[in-house]
Amino acid sequence: MLSTRDLVAGYQERTVLDGLDLDLPADAFTVIVGPNACGKSTLLRTMARLLTPRRGTVLLDGAAIRELPTREVARRLGVLPQSPLVPEGVTVADLVGRGRQPYQRWWRQWSEQDGAAVDRAMRLADVADLADRPVDTLSGGQRQRVWIAMTLAQDTEALLLDEPTTFLDLAHQVEVLDLLHRLRAERGRTVVAVLHDLNQAARYADHLIAMRAGAVVAAGPPRAILTADLIREVFGLDCVVVPCPVTGAPLVVPALTSPTLAAAAGSPATGSPGAVPLAGENTLAGVYPSEGI
Amino acid sequence: MTAATQVADRGSAAPNGTDRLPGRALLRVGPVRVQIRRRSVLVAAALTGLLAVAMVLSLSLGTPYVAPADVLRALAGTGTAYDLVVLDLRLPRLVLAAVAGAAFGVAGTLIQSVARNPLASPDVIGITQGAGLAATVALTSGAAAVVVGPAALAGGLVAAAVVFALGARHGLAAQRFVLAGVAVAFALRALIEVVMLTADPIDGLRAQIWLIGTLAGRGWTETAWIAGTLLLLLPVLAWAGWALNSTALDDDTARGIGLRPVARRIGLAGTGVIAAAMVTAQVGAVDFVALVAPQVARRLVRAERPPLLCAALLGALLLVLADLAGRRLFAPTQLPAGVLTAAIGGPYLLYLLLRGRRRPS
Repeated sequence: MLSTRDLVAGYQERTVLDGLDLDLPADAFTVIVGPNACGKSTLLRTMARLLTPRRGTVLLDGAAIRELPTREVARRLGVLPQSPLVPEGVTVADLVGRGRQPYQRWWRQWSEQDGAAVDRAMRLADVADLADRPVDTLSGGQRQRVWIAMTLAQDTEALLLDEPTTFLDLAHQVEVLDLLHRLRAERGRTVVAVLHDLNQAARYADHLIAMRAGAVVAAGPPRAILTADLIREVFGLDCVVVPCPVTGAPLVVPALTSPTLAAAAGSPATGSPGAVPLAGENTLAGVYPSEGI
Repeated sequence: MTAATQVADRGSAAPNGTDRLPGRALLRVGPVRVQIRRRSVLVAAALTGLLAVAMVLSLSLGTPYVAPADVLRALAGTGTAYDLVVLDLRLPRLVLAAVAGAAFGVAGTLIQSVARNPLASPDVIGITQGAGLAATVALTSGAAAVVVGPAALAGGLVAAAVVFALGARHGLAAQRFVLAGVAVAFALRALIEVVMLTADPIDGLRAQIWLIGTLAGRGWTETAWIAGTLLLLLPVLAWAGWALNSTALDDDTARGIGLRPVARRIGLAGTGVIAAAMVTAQVGAVDFVALVAPQVARRLVRAERPPLLCAALLGALLLVLADLAGRRLFAPTQLPAGVLTAAIGGPYLLYLLLRGRRRPS
């Protein structure tokens, strides 16, 4: 549903994406990974029309997103920016209600549909109990769920999220990602997220995009593409990839690269893949059980 | 089963009856549906009552004293012995105070909300000083009196344009914008001093009084200019009451929900600048009303940003009281209203700030 054609984007003099062609699958949870400054956030922001590309187009269901009215885009595409500013003193219900903006005008500020959508979004994101609390008094995990609820209230087919788990502790990260997965699985939403954690990406993504230096190195189901070779190519880091004991998805464990840590662990440090068995074959798609995670 | 689930789903969507957001009332006028905070309805009603009392009091107090009953009779047009005092001497100045105060409140609300900073008020970021410099030059250069108002209006608009050009590169919400405004305000103030010190002392004194801001000797003409401007801006203001809700969001979030934050800021801040420059041109550089009225109104309504209507009412109340105090406090000596706006508004804002700190919510 979202595609890019010959996309060139960047900030000031720095060109981050240079001629990117990409197609994101509909009804899938797509995760974009890559090292810092590889252009993953730039890509997400450009696809969400938060950043104007220098050249090329972003297509939403085949139509150039720049040529669609921004309100219409907001009814089809929800965006959660990386660290949204929390307005002082705004209650949860109020903030979630802002998600109805694309359906409202100043002379038609609220309707039953708006109310129902806000209720639904708050229940889905499990923040209904917090409805009357000011957002700036909530914990990081609760806040993130409130922001997600706001984008859910927009009632869009697709949801783009820029590092939705940053600054959250592990339990809250899992909570947020579970919610996103549920949106995809139960509600048929298209979810696209930039994540830092490869193991979470492998655990949740239907479709993984690995980026480096503004280009896509590999794209596909995590079990098919997430290999030690790919990680070396993308991050320049030697890794062991084993099946996750819980989900069976690829689990990335960095190889020992620090001599002092190696000494403490009692095994030889290695910069080369030879010394530690790299589970190269294990990462072939066929090895994993084919049912979903 | 699906149908049953859907019904259940719809049924459970209703329990808190969210045909509106919590704490809001839905106002329906024909096809128009507007959400208002219940609290701001109460505050607006209370402020309107207080304003009415203050206005009757202002018409009543003075030499000669006119009993409130006679004031009301004079206003009703039944013809009393006090018609001259009430209707011709006191009323024009009083209405000007109310209208000018409301305009200051509106201007302050718009600019502060867009900048997300209470200091971004026209008297802090140089708009008032720009008007002041132009008025000072006009008053000390022997220009005709009718030139002073238009010169001040132009001065305020130019100063605003300079501040926006210097400070808005990273968005108006950046600290840079307010800092640029404060710097421009100081520079303009220095220029005003230069003009005053090199001018004829009598002209300098006239400029001095203009700079403090006074309602003495002013009335219907000035009122008409300000009220006319506000009326012209009314469609924008009706939209602004709604559009201001999104100024608390950052640009990415605002774009995400289908807004155009930059265009919105230009519309809102531009409206505020026009109101500020016009009212300053008519009543002089009255300080502090535009700064304090929105902030006090915001705390009374307990909203995340200043409420437009309540700030306008509070600005009107503040200037009416300041003018009354200026007339009566040291009578027969008359103090310009501009001297007293800070004296009345400042302590009240401090009180609200201190009360807010004791009871964090």
